[in-house]
Parts: sequence; C-alpha cells; structure tokens
Amino acid sequence: MKTHIKELRARYDLTQEDLARKVGVRRETILFIEKGNYNPSLQLAHDIAKALQTTINDLFIFEDE
Amino acid sequence: MKGKKEIIVATVLVAMVLLTLFFYLMGTGEIEFNQILLVGIVVILVGLAMYIIWDRIKNVQKGLPAKDERLININYKAGYYAFIAAIWSAVFTPLFFDVSSGYELKGGDVTAIVVLVSGFVFVVSYLYLYRKGN
Repeated sequence: MKTHIKELRARYDLTQEDLARKVGVRRETILFIEKGNYNPSLQLAHDIAKALQTTINDLFIFEDE
Repeated sequence: MKGKKEIIVATVLVAMVLLTLFFYLMGTGEIEFNQILLVGIVVILVGLAMYIIWDRIKNVQKGLPAKDERLININYKAGYYAFIAAIWSAVFTPLFFDVSSGYELKGGDVTAIVVLVSGFVFVVSYLYLYRKGN
C-alpha cells in the first residue's frame, strides 16, 4: 500500500519524528508506513490523516486503485 | 509512565540473569563445550534484550512512546513463532538425541533446551520483524 504521507509532511514542514510525536507512535512506524512495509490500524490511519489535515482516502493509495 | 516501568523491570531482570550467569560460571570450575554453547546462547539473548531496552529508553528520552501498535503486533507474532518452536523442540530434541547418539536426555535438559530455543526464536523473529516493518 502506497501513501502520500511524505508529500504531505513536506507540505507542512514536518519531520517523521514530529509526525510520530503528534500521533503517539515511534518514528520507525511512520517510516515503515511511508515505505508501504506496514499497514497501520484504522485508528492510526485516522490519526495520521487528521494530523496532516486530510482524509484516509486521500492519504493512502490502495492496490486496486 | 507504563513504558518507563517496563524498562525498569526489564533492566532489573537482565541484571539478575547476568548475576545468575556470573555465579553459575564461578561455581562451575572446568567448563565443558556444551556449557559454553548454552552460556553463549544466554549471552546472546541478554545482549539482544539489552539492545531492546536501550532502544526503548532512547525513544522515551525523545518524548516518543517506548512501544506502539507495530511493536505490540511484532511481540504477538514473535511470541507465536517462539511457542511453535517450543513445541517442536520439546518433541524432537529427545528424539534427535536418542536416534543420533543413543543418549537419553533428562527432563531438566529438555526444559533448558526448550527455553533456550524458544527464547532464541523469539529474539530472532522479533528483530527480523522489527527491521522488516511488519
């Protein structure tokens, strides 16, 4: 699963650590989500989308899209 | 706060294991090859446990959680693999020794091997999943 997290982080000038602190996870978790190596829970996906002022649908690119 | 408590408990446990190992080695006298192997595995396990503790302390100092949902999932997965390894080693270790050398293992030996194998599998799978992501 691909994501737009990196682009949105750049837009809001956030580092992976800043975003991790905002949503209450470790920095590596954000890294693995960005690389598509980890599928977050719905709650975490929601928290990340909220922190980046977007929606889950706009944040994640699903395989069949 | 919960993360800090876990770190303290884990640090105390690691210190106790190291102390036990120290007294064991002091009281053994001459060390045989199989003892070196067992002590080696224990040292590897303790070393990796110390790495995990250090990693958590580093995160807590930065204001990040000691563990999050990814690490909890990794714990469950690694625990599952360790459980499977424990079952297989409990069944096949006595058989292996019996068939290969005709030596019948004592119950205590089998227990020690099962604990070491499952601990080793837990740590290896934990670190693999930790680096892989999921």
